[in-house]
Amino acid sequence: MITWIHPGLVILLGGFLIPFIKWRRVRLTYFLCLPLAGLAILLMTSMGVFGSLPAWPESLYKWNVPFMKFTLELGRINKLSLLFGYVYVIAAFCMNIYAIRVKNNWEHVAAMIYVGSALGAIFAGDLFTLFFCLEIMSWAPFFLLAFRGTKKSMGAAVRYVLWHHLSGVCVLAGILMHFHHTGSIAFVHMPWGWGWEYLGYHLMLLGFLINSATIPFHSWLSDTYSEATTSGSVYMTAFTTKTAVFCLIVSFSGVSLLMWLGVMSAMFSVFLAVLENDGRRLLSYHIVSQVGYMVAGVGIGTEMAINGAAAHAFCHIIYKGLLYMGAGCALTVVGTAKFNRLGGLYKYMPVSFWLTMIGGLSISAFPLFSGFISKTMTLEAAELIKQPIVYLLLEGASIGTFLHTGLKLPWNIWLQGKDEPSPDIRAKLKDSAINTPVHMLIGMGILAFLCIFLGVYPKILYSMLPYPVEFVPYTVTKVFSITQMFIFAFIGFWILRKMVAGHPTYTLDTDWFVRIPGMAFVRFCKGPLISFGTVLDRAVLSAADFVIASVRNPKTETLITPRAISFGASFALLVILFFLAIYA
Amino acid sequence: MNRLRIYPKKLFWRLFYIVLVASLILDFVWLYTHVLHYHFHFQHFIQFFAIFGLFGCMALILIAKGIGFFIVTDENYYEKKSRREK
Repeated sequence: MITWIHPGLVILLGGFLIPFIKWRRVRLTYFLCLPLAGLAILLMTSMGVFGSLPAWPESLYKWNVPFMKFTLELGRINKLSLLFGYVYVIAAFCMNIYAIRVKNNWEHVAAMIYVGSALGAIFAGDLFTLFFCLEIMSWAPFFLLAFRGTKKSMGAAVRYVLWHHLSGVCVLAGILMHFHHTGSIAFVHMPWGWGWEYLGYHLMLLGFLINSATIPFHSWLSDTYSEATTSGSVYMTAFTTKTAVFCLIVSFSGVSLLMWLGVMSAMFSVFLAVLENDGRRLLSYHIVSQVGYMVAGVGIGTEMAINGAAAHAFCHIIYKGLLYMGAGCALTVVGTAKFNRLGGLYKYMPVSFWLTMIGGLSISAFPLFSGFISKTMTLEAAELIKQPIVYLLLEGASIGTFLHTGLKLPWNIWLQGKDEPSPDIRAKLKDSAINTPVHMLIGMGILAFLCIFLGVYPKILYSMLPYPVEFVPYTVTKVFSITQMFIFAFIGFWILRKMVAGHPTYTLDTDWFVRIPGMAFVRFCKGPLISFGTVLDRAVLSAADFVIASVRNPKTETLITPRAISFGASFALLVILFFLAIYA
Repeated sequence: MNRLRIYPKKLFWRLFYIVLVASLILDFVWLYTHVLHYHFHFQHFIQFFAIFGLFGCMALILIAKGIGFFIVTDENYYEKKSRREK
């Protein structure tokens, strides 16, 4: 019998070999094969090659490593972790195809470390392994950001790491307090309450909330994802936030605070997306919004809601990757994703447009696309627990999602009612209908196919969900209500379409409250603190000079060595202290 | 190649109007023949989703523009802020 090998470790360690393979073709084939190896392991696990898989929430344990007096469970396999594992490796495969022309091999390495550590986190059965993997995950995107090489992206990289270290510290504090209370490091459902004795769990939840970019801790996401390299940002969309959602499902499902935070994320970020001018920043706000649906589902906590959150994470990774790739096409081909400079590209890259439209329709939960089969689940869960406000806000957020990602983004990048792009953009385009590199279109094509496939045939996804599914997405009521809503939302968009046009602006976000005081602090350090230090320094030096001058023996000039100076200074100090002691 | 370049504007608008009218009629018919099953009473309001979609969308844009009045700034806001320090 074959032993189980951790798919995350295969991808992580395998990634390090990429730059050392000399032959280009071999290297690229190897790069594409890494996620496929992970997929093969997961498929074999599902088929029961490594032992039969018990029903959720029971798990199959592999790779138990003794560590000090604990046992680290590196491979806790259950239905939920397999679900996330599948989508991670499938998404990583398509993203690798998309990123295959990237010249810098180390960018590939960073991406593979990122994917591998994300897989490590979802298969972790204990909190130490989880924390370790989350820490690697907070560093890998640093390189994806830094490799862009601009000053802005370097700043974003540093801010990314700072935010994630904050969350890491919170999670670690929570883990240690939990261990102190219970003596266990198992990564299981945590207790929840409002007293001081729950402080550790509050911190842990805070850490996960920062990672999952829930309002008001969402600003790092829009700030950094839009600054990464084209393919790097595609990787970043998938893993960090969804791993955090996974952690929330495992440890904090049913906490009603999460429901409200999730709903607020879903709604509030949609407002901010209206004002965005950068395609990738707009999509970032929609990650926040969609993760809001998942967090709300985790907060509702019923079986259907948890299923909905997990299914939505699955679909979301696929369509959001596709959308980022679409915005990345424009960025790669014409060098910008800013709406005020784009428009009229349809004639030159129609395939990218239609593929992005598929992503847009999926995220808006249009019937027959993947978002529909997962988002309606969370909505129905909200209906079933009789929460009309939650339902209305989530439904309203989905109007916003359709408005931006289904309409505003494609409209502004490819159409804007123009037949030709502006002259400076036109100069960068070839005179053909396919300007986008073909490998990018292949990567997008696979994801677009998956979007439609999942939408048309949801059974395959439903069979992978943790709880048994008794949910039918395609009822007359659901299909009709959502279609009618979108038709009328389209009319609203058409009336006000001039208002959503791009202007070269920047929208401030909650990170203003961190960045401005941070800048003030740096300014304080650079200005007053340094000058105070200089003044102090000068005073001490002049005092020392004075002491030296007064104790110097003119005949033995050469004897004044540093040692002599320090001796003299300390002697003088002693004398002063002596007099002080006497007279004081 | 040339076929890809045809901008399917007319076809789109015709389809759109057909679906629009069909949805309005079907809502009346289905709501009164009890084909539609909703969970909340407000969903049974006639053309609820049409009104919600239209006004929700417009309200979203207008409110966001209102918020934007306070938080939209220059494109290089933070760069300028940090440059002023030096």
